[in-house]
Amino acid sequence: MASFIEKPRFTCPLGGALATVNALTKAVAVLHSSQGCGGNSNGAILGAAGHLGSGYCGGSSVPASSISEKQIVFGGVARLEEQLNSTAEIIDAELLVIITGCTAEIIGDDVQSVVRGYNSKGLDRPPVIFASGAGFKGNSYFGYDSVLQSLFRDYVVPSEKKTKGKVNIWGVPPSLDVFWEGNLLELRRILEGIGLKVNTFFTNQDSLADLKASADAELNIIVSPVNGVAAADVFKEVHGVDNLITDLPIGAKATEAFLRTVSERLKLNKRLVEKFLTAEKENYYHFFNRISDGYADIDLQRYAVVIADTTYAVALTRFASKELGWLPKLVAITDTVEVDQQAGLRSLFSKELENPDQTVVFETDTSQMQERLYERWPKPTGAKYDRLFSPAFVIGSRLDSEFAENIKAGHLSVSFPISNRFVLSRGYAGYRGALHLVEDIFSVLVAKR
Amino acid sequence: MSYLHLKVPPTRDERLKPCGAFGGTMDDLVSGHKEGCLSANGRTFAQTTGCQLTLSMGMAASIPNTVVIYHGPVGCGAGSLAVSGLSKQNQLARGNIDSIGRVWMSTNLSEVDVITGGEEKLERAILEAEERFKPHAIFIGNTCVPAITGDDIDNVATRLQERVNAKIIPLHCEGFRTRFVATAYDIVYHGILRYLLGEDKADWRPENADELRDYQERSKRTVNLLNVGSMGRVDEVELVRLINAIGLEANVYPCFTPPEKFVKVRDAALSVSICATHDDYFVEHLKELYGIPYVLNTIPIGTDNVRLWLLEIADFFGIREKALEFIEAEEVELREALKPLRAFFEGKTTFVSTGEIRAGAQATMLEQDLGMQVLAIRTHHYDKFGEVVFEHFKGRDDITINVATAQPFEQANLLRRLQPDIFLGHAGSNVWAAKQGFPVLPIFGPANSYMGYKGVFEVATRLERLLQNPAFFTTLGETSTLPFKEFWYDEDPYTYIQQTQDAA
Repeated sequence: MASFIEKPRFTCPLGGALATVNALTKAVAVLHSSQGCGGNSNGAILGAAGHLGSGYCGGSSVPASSISEKQIVFGGVARLEEQLNSTAEIIDAELLVIITGCTAEIIGDDVQSVVRGYNSKGLDRPPVIFASGAGFKGNSYFGYDSVLQSLFRDYVVPSEKKTKGKVNIWGVPPSLDVFWEGNLLELRRILEGIGLKVNTFFTNQDSLADLKASADAELNIIVSPVNGVAAADVFKEVHGVDNLITDLPIGAKATEAFLRTVSERLKLNKRLVEKFLTAEKENYYHFFNRISDGYADIDLQRYAVVIADTTYAVALTRFASKELGWLPKLVAITDTVEVDQQAGLRSLFSKELENPDQTVVFETDTSQMQERLYERWPKPTGAKYDRLFSPAFVIGSRLDSEFAENIKAGHLSVSFPISNRFVLSRGYAGYRGALHLVEDIFSVLVAKR
Repeated sequence: MSYLHLKVPPTRDERLKPCGAFGGTMDDLVSGHKEGCLSANGRTFAQTTGCQLTLSMGMAASIPNTVVIYHGPVGCGAGSLAVSGLSKQNQLARGNIDSIGRVWMSTNLSEVDVITGGEEKLERAILEAEERFKPHAIFIGNTCVPAITGDDIDNVATRLQERVNAKIIPLHCEGFRTRFVATAYDIVYHGILRYLLGEDKADWRPENADELRDYQERSKRTVNLLNVGSMGRVDEVELVRLINAIGLEANVYPCFTPPEKFVKVRDAALSVSICATHDDYFVEHLKELYGIPYVLNTIPIGTDNVRLWLLEIADFFGIREKALEFIEAEEVELREALKPLRAFFEGKTTFVSTGEIRAGAQATMLEQDLGMQVLAIRTHHYDKFGEVVFEHFKGRDDITINVATAQPFEQANLLRRLQPDIFLGHAGSNVWAAKQGFPVLPIFGPANSYMGYKGVFEVATRLERLLQNPAFFTTLGETSTLPFKEFWYDEDPYTYIQQTQDAA
């Protein structure tokens, strides 16, 4: 039985699903839930996601059935049908996605039949699909997966034919990865760089038409050990496309390894791939090495604490250790991970950490981070020769700034939630993203100069 | 109206029968509401809003040294993630030592809990909140799911109270129970009245006889000044200044007030509200329980309403002359300060959208103090408390009145028709006006001054600043696309308002 959580660093499936639909160009969500579900989610998926704006039809524009006591007693199907029809009438959309909340699911509204009824009318209206978003089913990562599964089952058009060199990429959930769009754009760029045709679904370079026609891909690449993995199974089952599950690459070393893995899997032209890798590496270190004077003159090596969801925890730990030459001493994974999955996830750190069992913890609660640290590092006693946890840096979320302050460490918000930064096109993945990350982290180190 | 014997206070829908969907003129709204024919109005197309849970827990969380527990699935309360740092600033601005910061927990109810009940999880969360943070109070916000499945949060609170030092305050703020989020204020006040005022037997008055006499004398000219969570310290300072200027003292409640101080509410001579939407439940109960009269008619925004507000307070204490003298001196000074600005606003048109009380007063201020022309007023809801603040607009059929909480589709339609020079609106609605290219000034916010004489001047300078360079909004209008089909702008903006009871 999952326990209570202090300041959960995610919202419910409905919130995750809403963020996911918002991020698809010209797709519009229709919430079938109590009236506040959208408003509450907006705080999390917009305000806490680097002040992501309402976008096309997010924020207070999200169509909603807003069911109340009446529907909870008598059923909400009629209200949903009414809302669906009026939404199609007034909103300019290419796809509608009904997302159900807790109350609609508890009262057992038959949403599938509403969907069938609407779609079967064959009017000149955007099609509708349905994704479950009940809060008690999980968290917002589940909502991301739920929308992907519905899209793959009910929207993507089956294709027997597969196109050589075409890949779909996901595993980067909008809003929960605050840098999702920048990350996907960089992943698209580097995969195109090794000669692939790429669908990333959720950027301004993608369209619903591309998503619809994504079943002819040769491979699905999921850049997360957890997010979107269940959806990959659905894609494979329904459309017969294999998948490759990798980590989110940040920095030259991780990105090179990532591209080689993809290249081997798809048996790409080695010469072309190597040419791209060489050029990218050269470009990367041309800029990266600008930190060398500062690093060497003022000692910018740090003990590191990484506080993030599974995907970012792996990626950031690797980056801190292998690219920056820092020493991660506490890695706190903040998405809820079942006990039977923990050992498997710890093993993902085997190359980065001397002792993952010691360093990696599964901790959701903000107030407990300091305790977790001092279980691993002696608490300061004030003695003359105290071995202090210093100099240190916390790569975490906005919620961790106080902890960083308490242990006199630098801090940058990278993982969700981020309410203290505006994020536009910035990404941290790949080569270019990693250079942004270096700029942002090292700017904190010299902020008072 | 005492409802304090109830675990769950009535909703606004039941108690005040507000109107939530209307389009037309001011007079039609007032008469329609009086005839009681507007409260059943709904919409066949609707856009998402907040719920009373979010608002209740936001208000509860503003009280320092407390923990709020959302009893529900993990997403309820996630909106707090956007403001986790802001609340610290709000406390610091009031000199509060809030050692634990803004802490919320979720009982994280799962599918299993929906079947077997979540009370045990709530118990563990309460015990852990006590252990980790040693708060003065723990607010439990009940959400839709456990309300439907039948968890008894009052029972849990009672059961655990003897094991926990913190005062455990259950709040029944389930989102589905009301269309009017303002019910949230009643819910939190209900908790404050039952748990922070009523049952505290500790003697908070000075023990020493001289000090006690002094305290009692001061209490006779001390008012409870009721704030709202979205206002800045700067507005509180201004209102306290006005009250002090007529020889009275003020203690500020309920937002940002340490829980142990609430008991002093009982000793004040008068309760002074700045917003009936926020306070009517509280002041009425204070009157019944402790015999404290109240002032509830208006919000001190704009010289007309500041005057009204201050004179009502003064009349209670029999110091009208003194107040008038002060008001007139302040108004002269303000008019002088506004002089160079007024020319700038001559002939400018405006559109106002926010909660009922603030909407009426702010719109009045824009016309009366700045000489602008108000084209439309949108209010989140309308109830009997609207009459005083809309007095200025009675009989004015040149003004469009729309009752809607957010619903940007109606707003967009109206804005396209009316083309105001400037838009003043509520968070969440503002961006849609901005994307149509209209310069936007947020109509409330903790960082800025809005109330009292100072507020009039500050709003004027901000409006002038905004209009000096609206380039951002112009470009935004040119480069944004709203999600509404083009035909919509030619339709009646109230097409989707349902005037009958037969909502789906």
